[in-house]
Amino acid sequence: MATLGKTLLSLEGVGVAFRPGKLSLRKRELFWVLKDVTFDLLHGETLGVIGRNAAGKSTLLRLMAGILTQDCGTLVNYGHTAALLSLQTGFVPYLTGRQNAILSGILLGLRRRDVQARMDSIIDFSELGAFIDEPLSNYSSGMRARLGFAVAYQAEPDILLIDETLGVGDEAFRAKSTEAMHARIRSDKTIVLVSHSAETIRTLCDRVVWLDEGMTRAVGPVAEVMAAYHAELAHRQSERVARIRGGIVR
Amino acid sequence: MIFGRFKINPRMVELVVYMTLADLRAEASKTYINYLWWVVDPILSMMVFYVVFGLLFKRTEPDYVSFLLVGLVAWTWYSRSLSHASNSILSGKSLMNQVDMPKLVFPIVTLLTDFTKFWVVLMVLLFFTWVADHGLGIAYAALPLVILTQFLLCAALALLLAAAVPWLPDLKPLVDHLLHLQMFLSGVFFAAASIPEPYRFWFYLNPMAGLIEDYRAILLDGLWPHWVRLGTIAGLSLLVLILGVWLLRRLDRVYPRLVR
Repeated sequence: MATLGKTLLSLEGVGVAFRPGKLSLRKRELFWVLKDVTFDLLHGETLGVIGRNAAGKSTLLRLMAGILTQDCGTLVNYGHTAALLSLQTGFVPYLTGRQNAILSGILLGLRRRDVQARMDSIIDFSELGAFIDEPLSNYSSGMRARLGFAVAYQAEPDILLIDETLGVGDEAFRAKSTEAMHARIRSDKTIVLVSHSAETIRTLCDRVVWLDEGMTRAVGPVAEVMAAYHAELAHRQSERVARIRGGIVR
Repeated sequence: MIFGRFKINPRMVELVVYMTLADLRAEASKTYINYLWWVVDPILSMMVFYVVFGLLFKRTEPDYVSFLLVGLVAWTWYSRSLSHASNSILSGKSLMNQVDMPKLVFPIVTLLTDFTKFWVVLMVLLFFTWVADHGLGIAYAALPLVILTQFLLCAALALLLAAAVPWLPDLKPLVDHLLHLQMFLSGVFFAAASIPEPYRFWFYLNPMAGLIEDYRAILLDGLWPHWVRLGTIAGLSLLVLILGVWLLRRLDRVYPRLVR
């Protein structure tokens, strides 16, 4: 595991609220997706984020990526670039694979000449060969997924935010892309990883943040937080079973 | 400064240029004859007006077809710029939720796309007016200024619309109808001279009316544009443009929530 360094990003009591619906004359209730999130992200670590559905995990990633700003609390980024690992960003069906790679690469933070310099490794990794100069509309969904991953892999922000719940498509390619991603996660890179898989979190992460209904329930070493998380899940499960049983008896 | 985030980031300039090229290329590759459509399309629509007004109605004014085409070319650029830009931020919603980018990019890209297509149409128009025996006069020197003024006007209104429509999507169909109304008030089909004197002041409050008249002065009559009016339109447009840039930069991080 990488040695942990200085703080890159720190969140203190951060909350994000959405106003449901469009403009309205009546004041509508704010919906707080994140209510009170506090943790630091350290250089070189892989920080896992766990929590049930609708716990605010993807909103948290978008907040760290700078796409959203918080409505309360403070988020300090000590001058580092942070970006979501997003696949097929800005892809346009009528452009060729090469043109899409450049467009997507610029969107993901590279300069045009950087993308062009890395074009060979993009073509190589995506296994597209001469197909790179065909329009994207002639691609199979697997080919698109491969190109999308190959381009996204070239963007190297200081902080990489990964939402593993979004699939990479194409079964055959998944092993290769997962392996490449895991290699990067194990390297000295700073990564925030959202995953539903306890196995993934255990093998890849140094620390874990547990989000529950928009609040940080726990931050700390993987084994500790995961144990508490699973205990809670088991507890809720047994409560639910008990409630259903109670209903049947009545 | 208001242009700060744009200026210090050459990557954003690259992004705007590449997205514009992508837009133009994407549009062209939807058809078999690709880029030829850019020339064929205005020629066909000019032919329609030639058939209707030149052959069927036999309008009595000399050279009514050239008169009409100049107005239509300027108008089409204006209305397309506004209509496309007003939708631009809404249609960038998936992109802006994946990467952090200035939302200004979206309306600027549609503006540049429409501006590029205008140039092609303008070349066809100039060819037509030359064929129709309007020479190339010294007044042509003022043409770039009129075009620049119209670009400022289009950009100013386009940014305001782009900023407003995500808040109130119902504006979009309204904008299209208002543009339709404005077309009939801009003198595309008639000359300002045919308007009774007391109403002319109101007529010229519409900036497109003045601009279309200036285009006609230059291209058809070899006269200079109305400088004071042109300068006023350019100055006011610049002020509104600055307001629009300020607004879009201020609301930059609000849009991803709004258009999810």
